[in-house]
Amino acid sequence: MEAGFYFFEQIFNSAIFYFALVVMASYIFLCFFSALEMKAYMRKNSFIDYREILVSPFAPSVSILAPAYNEEATIVDNVKSIMSLHYSNFEIIIINDGSKDHSLEKLIHAYQLEKVDFCVNEQLNHQPIRGIYKSRNSSYAKLIVIDKENGGKSDALNAGINVSSKDLLLCIDVDCIVEQDALLKLVKPYLEEKKRVIATGGVVRIANSCEVEDGRLVKVHMPKNIISRFQVLEYIRAFLMGRMAWSRLNGLLIISGAMGLFDKEIVIKCGGYSHETVGEDMELVVRMRRYMHDNNLKYQVVYIPDPLCWTESPVDFKILGRQRNRWTRGTIETLWTHRDLFFNPKYSILGMLSYPYWLFFEWLAPILEGIGIITFILLASFGKINWEFSLILFTMVYTFSILLSTIAVLFEERSYHQYTSGMDVLKLLLLAFIEPIVYHPLTIYWSIKGNIDKFTGKKNWGTMTRAGFTSNQKDKLETSSTQNLTTQQEQSV
Amino acid sequence: MLLSVSVGEYLKNLFFDRLPFFPDNIRISLFIIMFCLIATLEIYLYVFLKKAKNKRDNYLNANWKEKISNMLSNIIIYGDEDDGLENVVNHFLPRFKKLPLKRKRVRNILIEEIRIYHSNFTGFTADVLKELFIKLELHKYTLEKLKSNYWEIQIEGIREIAQFWLYEYDQLVFALTDHEHEIVRMEAQTAHVRLNRDNPFKFLDNMRGRILPWHQLILFEIITKAKYVKIPSFVQWLGSPNDSVVIFCLKLIGYYQQLDALAEIVKLLKHPQEEIRKMSVWVIGKMEAEFVEEELLKIYPKETQKVKIEILSALGKISSGNYLSFLKDCLLTADFEIKMGATKAILGHGRKGKLMLQELQSIVPTKNQQIIAHVLDARI
Repeated sequence: MEAGFYFFEQIFNSAIFYFALVVMASYIFLCFFSALEMKAYMRKNSFIDYREILVSPFAPSVSILAPAYNEEATIVDNVKSIMSLHYSNFEIIIINDGSKDHSLEKLIHAYQLEKVDFCVNEQLNHQPIRGIYKSRNSSYAKLIVIDKENGGKSDALNAGINVSSKDLLLCIDVDCIVEQDALLKLVKPYLEEKKRVIATGGVVRIANSCEVEDGRLVKVHMPKNIISRFQVLEYIRAFLMGRMAWSRLNGLLIISGAMGLFDKEIVIKCGGYSHETVGEDMELVVRMRRYMHDNNLKYQVVYIPDPLCWTESPVDFKILGRQRNRWTRGTIETLWTHRDLFFNPKYSILGMLSYPYWLFFEWLAPILEGIGIITFILLASFGKINWEFSLILFTMVYTFSILLSTIAVLFEERSYHQYTSGMDVLKLLLLAFIEPIVYHPLTIYWSIKGNIDKFTGKKNWGTMTRAGFTSNQKDKLETSSTQNLTTQQEQSV
Repeated sequence: MLLSVSVGEYLKNLFFDRLPFFPDNIRISLFIIMFCLIATLEIYLYVFLKKAKNKRDNYLNANWKEKISNMLSNIIIYGDEDDGLENVVNHFLPRFKKLPLKRKRVRNILIEEIRIYHSNFTGFTADVLKELFIKLELHKYTLEKLKSNYWEIQIEGIREIAQFWLYEYDQLVFALTDHEHEIVRMEAQTAHVRLNRDNPFKFLDNMRGRILPWHQLILFEIITKAKYVKIPSFVQWLGSPNDSVVIFCLKLIGYYQQLDALAEIVKLLKHPQEEIRKMSVWVIGKMEAEFVEEELLKIYPKETQKVKIEILSALGKISSGNYLSFLKDCLLTADFEIKMGATKAILGHGRKGKLMLQELQSIVPTKNQQIIAHVLDARI
């Protein structure tokens, strides 16, 4: 009995230890590739004049799709902000997804809308459209508003795609703050890559505590709320280190739901957004990539390191927990739907690297961490712990996570250094010491809970209470009036 | 104090005395801990030293920039055209020569400021700034930049030559139009178009690589916006084996309405590349070439959907009225895009087309009625 226990302990220890080493090594590789990609991007684009795209008659045409649900408080300003984007050849499609408030009425009044006989090309399935509106005022000629029965974010986006008449689709969350030159930067990869670009994404950043004026971000501040600060560090790490590296390897599996530009033809050919998952942004990218492989078409999914979109992050643990729970379920659903990709050489890097990475390191790693913690507690209670060795192992993981966050801050400093104040940078660096022991265990818990919810059949998006942006005379963006939103704007980090 | 001594002793004991006796995983862990701590400290140092250096650089740059900007403003305010170019330049030159131009920082700021000022002025002021640039021998640094091993610096050099219209160095720029780095190639080609007065598009003769859409877009803007570019007949490159050259020339033919190219464009309707056929049809529509309509109809049945839609659009632009019945028949197909394209083409025929659509509205199936209503609605 004792020998069996000892044997189990040895195997268990070694397996967990070497798994952790592989995870760490993968992060180091990602750091390396990310650094290469960012350096290449910044060298290449340091002297680019994006106005060339702005004025060119040959710039690709873009439909901006923004689903909205119960957004009456901010919808008019949000649309105004989208209309001010720097681009010439685009249309804006706002999809009112069966809002129960007065979102539609506010839009009709503000933009002088009236119902038109719009003939929709029904290529993708969605809930019935109640009406399509255009403005009498030619100043708003680019605006189309779809009023439809509620069906969720995927359903709304599919309706928008059917109505769209342009070549590229920019899918955004209506309440995000989009940088004015975001479209110009997102479109460029479509014009310069040698392979066909099927999707591009940019860095999403946390807007809490930032200064906003007329729907535009004018000054970046570090959030005052500690939970948002943790997310700042997390987002920098995920976007500047993770996604840039995967972009370099052409192995990206996700483009943020908050903002992504897609090739419409491919989106339609592979069936649009799925109604079957709460992680529709990731699922779509995986499906598009599969489609390209299945049809032997060369392609690329590109991420750019520019901070193009600013979103408000959850400010309390309960809401954040719901968000992370849903991201976990979305990941599981996507991985399960496309399980045949697993180590499938037909799909090259998608099957041999990206999918296994997500399976082992994004889905499995938190579960193993959770099991590790429980096992540790059990062994400790039986007096089977070598405390010195445990402390060394813990310190290894701890110092490594500090190093990783510090590298992320370095990337931020070397690229777009949004936090110009030295104090803000110091805050971020110090946060790296607290994050692994305060915030990280919570993300593990939410992830495990997401797994449990998934396997017990919970399917809903979950209602998210979110504080809204307000910009007063001094334009200091702080959280104020509380709105209830369905969680239509988060994406896995 | 006692605690720090004991921690120090413990670590010394851990890393020097007991390390060889630990199991592998603990030794690896200790190594990783050391690595992480050292790397983190180094990054901290780097971040803060870099921040301090940037702050100092920004301060120095701002001072020099202000000083140089003031000196250049004086030229603009006090440089009188009646005094003549030579006199004005000679008047201000000594002050600029007093600047420590051997220092890279000052020289770069001066070059950049003259470049910005030059790009914002034309006529006499621009000429003075150019002359000042040459008399200060800053163009020598520009020429050195062209020889750099770093492509970004080569681009800076190319841009300065183009900015100051240094025609005499056009051949140096032309040599870079076939550079292995695509961005240098692109910059050199755009500069060459601006600088060469006799044969600005010579580089198209031997283009080896593809002209990427981004590159085409930039070149198109430079060519169509520039005042002094000698526009050739682009038909000469329509037979190029480089598809991107053909597409680019088609865009320019369309823009400059080079009707003499139509015969060659008709030949391109049989080109194996869909993109070229589509662009050819677009140019035919843009030039409203009525005599090509029949040819378009001939190729229509075997064409891809994208080219078919372009053909319908071209028929709408030409709007001769000869093929209205064909367009009407297109409404019978199942393809939504084709139906929409045909309906728009009918409407493109003006009053006659509008009347036809209104008549059709009462006799066609519901879906087609909706398409017609959509097209007839001016707000959409």
